[in-house]
Amino acid sequence: MAAALTTVDHSALKVNQAGIVVTVLVAFIGGLFFTPLLFLIPLLAIVLLLGTFVPQAALFKQLYFRVLKPAGIVKPRPVQDRPEPHNFAQGLGGVFLVVASALLLPLQVAGLALALLVAVLAFVNLAFGYCLGCQIYFQLGKRGLIRA
Amino acid sequence: MSPQLWALAVAGIVVLAAALFELVRASRARRAALICEGAPSPDPYILYFTGEGCTVCRTHQEPALAKLGGVRIDKVDAIVQRDLAESFHVYTLPTTVVMCSNGKALHVNYGYASARKLEGQLAEARSAIGASVTA
Repeated sequence: MAAALTTVDHSALKVNQAGIVVTVLVAFIGGLFFTPLLFLIPLLAIVLLLGTFVPQAALFKQLYFRVLKPAGIVKPRPVQDRPEPHNFAQGLGGVFLVVASALLLPLQVAGLALALLVAVLAFVNLAFGYCLGCQIYFQLGKRGLIRA
Repeated sequence: MSPQLWALAVAGIVVLAAALFELVRASRARRAALICEGAPSPDPYILYFTGEGCTVCRTHQEPALAKLGGVRIDKVDAIVQRDLAESFHVYTLPTTVVMCSNGKALHVNYGYASARKLEGQLAEARSAIGASVTA
């Protein structure tokens, strides 16, 4: 049976994607001058994974719902949608950042490159609406591996 | 060279390789899908592959299809009608297929296709019919 559609505020998703891009860029560029800033990458991994399983703990989304939206800084954009593919994409981003974090000490270039790729994909989603994680979710659903 | 610059180079190569892979994959899938045939119809029509998890379908593709006016659009759930989706090599959503009235696929668009693009493809499908009738 197909899952029912619900209302998803796409502005919250956009703020989340913007948060990922900004955090990775701060870690990446800031790391050139102040190495401890690279710790933002494992921190972001925790934020994304935590937000995937406990939506109330999703830092960037909460920033939107508690600050940006009430203050009128970002306007809401409710869309009839399913939250699962977006959560899956966020979780996937979190997993990639965990791997990137694990690589930061033994193989810094690979760790940084992986984190940068997560930021690129978040930017593509933010700017063009193309969600690679959602496409992977669709492919898994098509193969019957998850209920898409 | 700093690790950041190396990482930038690695990420750039990965992005370029992914873009190239996507181009090749789309081109191969398109070629294979164009052999497919659907039901004949008096006018060209569109097969629109979508799915419940497809956000771009709702936010972009459906408004674009709505702009086409009186064109017949056959909406297909790519998960439910998996065999049909497989026959058109649907690997991403949305996918739109412009079908000629003789039931042959003329254009396959993997990913979002604008109303303007679809209108052009439909016009081509109509002229293809006109040409075959004249011949």
